[in-house]
Parts: sequence; structure tokens; C-alpha cells
Amino acid sequence: MSLLNRRPGLRWLVPLLAVIVVTTAGSVIAAVTASARDSLPPRSAAQLLVDVQKARLDDGLSGTIVQSASLGLPSLPGPEGDQSSSFSSLVSGSHTLRVWYAGPSRVRVALLGQLGESDLVRNGSDVWIWSSHNNTAHHLTIPAGSDRADPSGMSAEQAMTPQQAADAALKAITPTTRVTTDPTAEVAGRSAYQLVLEPQDPGTLIGHVTIAIDGETHIPTRVQVFGRGTTAPAFETGFTSFNASTPPSSVFDFNPPPGATVTEGLGGTGGPADGHTLAETAGATGGTPQVIGKGWTTIVKADLPANTSNGDNSGPFGNLTTITKSLPTVSGSWGSGHLLRGTLFSVLVTDRGQVVAGAVAPEQLYSALEAP
Amino acid sequence: MSAAELSATAAVPARRPSPRFLASELRLVLRRRRNLAGLAVLAAVPIFIAIAVKSSASQPGADAPDFFRSITENGLFVSLAALTVELGIFLPLAVAAIAGDAVAGEANLGTLRYLLVVPVSRLRLLAVKYTAIVLFAFVATFLVAVVGMVIGLALFGGGNLTTLSGTQISFTEGLGRVALASAYLGCALASLGAVGLFISTLTEQPIAATIATVIFSAASLILDSIPQVDWLHPYLLTHHWTAFGDLLRTPIAWSGVVQGLYVAAAYALVFFLAAWARFAGKDVTN
Repeated sequence: MSLLNRRPGLRWLVPLLAVIVVTTAGSVIAAVTASARDSLPPRSAAQLLVDVQKARLDDGLSGTIVQSASLGLPSLPGPEGDQSSSFSSLVSGSHTLRVWYAGPSRVRVALLGQLGESDLVRNGSDVWIWSSHNNTAHHLTIPAGSDRADPSGMSAEQAMTPQQAADAALKAITPTTRVTTDPTAEVAGRSAYQLVLEPQDPGTLIGHVTIAIDGETHIPTRVQVFGRGTTAPAFETGFTSFNASTPPSSVFDFNPPPGATVTEGLGGTGGPADGHTLAETAGATGGTPQVIGKGWTTIVKADLPANTSNGDNSGPFGNLTTITKSLPTVSGSWGSGHLLRGTLFSVLVTDRGQVVAGAVAPEQLYSALEAP
Repeated sequence: MSAAELSATAAVPARRPSPRFLASELRLVLRRRRNLAGLAVLAAVPIFIAIAVKSSASQPGADAPDFFRSITENGLFVSLAALTVELGIFLPLAVAAIAGDAVAGEANLGTLRYLLVVPVSRLRLLAVKYTAIVLFAFVATFLVAVVGMVIGLALFGGGNLTTLSGTQISFTEGLGRVALASAYLGCALASLGAVGLFISTLTEQPIAATIATVIFSAASLILDSIPQVDWLHPYLLTHHWTAFGDLLRTPIAWSGVVQGLYVAAAYALVFFLAAWARFAGKDVTN
């Protein structure tokens, strides 16, 4: 204490030390547990793909998935950004999902919003979609016997052994993609393999894609997509907590609370209307989309349905038109249009009602338009 | 008031570590008329919300927070709605007023000198001051919750509580969840109190310390709403405050609450030590 009395300034070292301790405590614990974990034996890409196909969730799982996307999309109108509990908000920002799985007929996914939640619950033949924000519960009934289609479909798939399927898949992508594996990844505090897919074509905006596969259960636990030359993923979805044991059956119980608006069947709130317009839209989309190039630099060219170009805001593309109009205008020998320059892909909507899109830089979209 | 303060400080016993020092500090905080007025304002909010929802024919609109729309279903939601509303400014302001006053108020009135004459270490003096702030934070939060509960149950009734996940829990469990949420927010506000205590040691103007503490909390809220600095968000004091909603899910999502408690504890520790570093070596001139 006498030292502190002589040099009162030294006292400030104590809160400073506390700052260092509390900010590094998390990473120190992570490092200690990481070194305590057994390292995984190396496995080839083909072996990993076989593992994934053979992976069976006998006990079920529960966990938390965090998804974050910075795709360079314009922010959507309405309360659909970060922290929203609406399922349609997932395209941008950061979101937390909780999942429970106890076999294909007992599944629950909850999207956590700030002071709100959307749930999708399947328990046997009942499917419920709940939204706390709208206070609505939508009920679907899955016809009995539809699950039996799964085993038959499975057996048809198994005509090809997992090994053959893995080899075929790798053979299909190797001309365009370099596939490597890394046994040192870590997802949700568990050792994981990482499958790294690196496009060989320098024309694409995608730098590399990593797929993490849990070392114990062989379930894919994380997907990250990196832009070219960036170190932070532009899109990431993965488990932050993962528990490979059967969740309690109570989490799959859902009864609509009193006071909630309950809708039934495939129709429900705006269901039939949506189906109607979608069918119309499908009919209205002039011609089939044209595919230019191959591999990672594939560009898709299509004509927009007529009603979107004349500024009709009532259709399902109504919002789209508004968003398109807010995008920067670009022009060239191909004409002019609005460009969405994303971090992983570019989309160009021309004034003539054409849309071209691809995981490429805008310049390649222009040349695709110029080509006949 | 200064007479009351003098008599309260004079009641502090010499040497013997006893709860009487804390008791006198608490008496001081909870008997001040301005603090009572502040608590009355805090308690008025749930009453206002409940009466407004009851008297208006239309349900709260689509843009209302989720808790508001559930008020007519269950009176317990009045507590949650009131806590949500007051979390922005009222509750932080109340805690900032007490914390800002803790040391600077005594210095301003000239009573700090007399306090320091009492043979207790400055560390213990700060610890007693901070304990009083923490208790006040809990008193304020639970006051809002209890008043909301009473008026809500009186106007809208109780019964099973619908969680954010759309499932129902029993009334007693719902009561427990609301109590948990209040306790969590009490911890969150107590950590803001540590920031206020530190600022209070920097100045002799209690009002300046209070304003600075409110600015700290407001700036944290503003930064939390700017997506471009999202790398900073997990470190912000206020970032995890809304995680109290996770306690209203089935099953409870603990991760946000646990992170929130860690951040609160970290802020409380660092700023309490900073307050000690400043106060222990401070020359008290008046």
C-alpha cells in the first residue's frame, strides 16, 4: 500500500489489468479447450463426402445456428432487417436460429428476433408455422404415408454407393474447382473437417467456399462463402452450439395459444392468392432463361415478365421494381439498366426488361449482353 | 437535507465492520425526496400503459412491440411492456441519477470530507456506495415489474402465459419468468451504476456525472443501432439488454442472457476498479 501511496498513478494498472483479463478470458478458454481437443486424423475429400452421406442422426440434435450475410444487397423496405423475427428477413444481416431435430417427422426451427420469434414445428403429421409478431399460427397436415416415399427414394439413390456418388461429385467439379481438406477446423467448440472448394476460374467473384463437417457425427455444421481476396466471409451459416442428443419431446409440442389467429391448410393467409399470382408470373415469364458460360462464371440471362417493366407495383414483383429503381444506373453499348453489385454476385436489370446475373464482375455481364 | 445527511453520516460507527454503514447509505438513497419522485415516475409508466391499452377500443397496432399486443391476453405482459419501454431512458436515468450523486453529491455538499474522517478505508466507502447503487437498480426494476403486474392482473387478469415461441406456460412459471427478466435487467442496470460511480469520482458536480452516465448509456444504444460497427456490438454495455426477451421463450434461450451477464459483470468490475483507482488517490478539498 505504501508504494501505491507514493505513486498513486500505479493504481490505474488495476482496472487496466481487469480490462485485459475480461476481454481475453473468452479467447484464452477457447485456446485451452482447443489444445485439449483431440486432433482429427486427416481424411481425403472423397472420404469426407462418403462420411457425410453415411451420417445418420440417430439421436437427433439440438443447437443454435447463426447466419450472417453481407452480400451487398440493398436494405429491404419494412421492418425486415437485423433482429427481425420474420423468415423473409434472412437474406441480409445477422440472424440466430434454434433447431431441434428428433427424426424427420419431429423437427422444430425457431428464428429468434429481438423480443419476437417465428417457429416452424413439425410433429408427426402436423406442421405449425407460428409468428409471435403477427400472433398467427398456420397449420398444415402432411398426408399419412408421404414419409414412405423417402425410403424408396433413398433406395434408388443407394443404387449408387456413397463412394461412387462421392467420386462422381468430385469428378464433376474438379475441372473447375480445386478441392482440399483441412482437419483442424472448429465449429461450435467441436473438432471438424473442412472441405475447401476453390474456383480455378479467376473470373468469378467467389474466392472460396468452405464446408465444415463435424468430426464425430459427420454432419455438415458450417458453410462459409468468401469473396475473392477477402478474409471475412460474405455469407456464413453455421452452428454456434451443437448437441448431438435427443431433444426432449416437449419442444415439439405446439398448440396455438388462445387469442392467436389460426389458419388451416395450404391456403390460409394470402396463400391461394400468392399461388395464383405465382402461376400467372410463371406463365408471364417470357421464354426460358438462357445460360451462358459454365462452371463458376455461369451467367443466367432471362426476360422479366412484362408487368414489372411498366411499373406495376401490385404484383409479387412490385417491391422488386421499387428496389431496382433505387439501384445505380449503368449504361454501355448494350443499352442501359440498373446494376446490383453484390459481394458475391452481380445482377443487371436492363431498361428493355432483361435480367442477367452471375457470380462475376459487372463487366462480364455487359459482354454477355453484347453477345447475341 | 444536508442536516439529514450529516446525521446519517455521523451514525457510521467507528472501525467495526457492520452493515450499519450500508444501512445508513440505503436510508439516505431511499429517503431522498427526489429519488422517491423518480421511483414514482418509474412506477407510473406501467399504470399508464395498462390504462391506455384498457381504455382504447383498438388493439395495439402492427408496429407495436410484441409484448404490447399480448397485454390484453395476460396482465403479466404489462410488466414486460413497461420494462421494454423504460429500458431506453427511464431506468438508465434513474440509476445514473443515484450513481452520479454517490461521490460527487457528497463532494458538492461538502459532506465527503466528513465521511472520510470516519476511519473506514476509501475502498470500503466505495464498496458501500456501489452496493447501495446495485440495490437501488434492483428496487427500481422490480418496482416497475411489480406495479405492472398488479395493475395488469387487476385490469386484464392472469392465467397461462403465452411465450414468444407460441407455447403456453403456467401462471406461476410465467411469474417466475417475469421475475427472472427483472433480475436480469437489474444486473444490467447495476453495471451501468458502476460506470456512473466512476464518473462520479471524476467531478464534484453530481448533475454532470448523471448526465455523463446517461450519455454513456445513450451512446451505447446508438452505436448498437449502427450496422456498420457491428464488430463493436458484442462489447457494448446495452447490446445484450434486450436479451431479457430470451427468457420468455420455450425452452429458455440462455446464451444471450449469459453473455449479457458476463458483459455486465466485466463492466462492473472494470469501472469499479477505475473508480477506486481515481478515488483512493484523490485529494478531497471540500
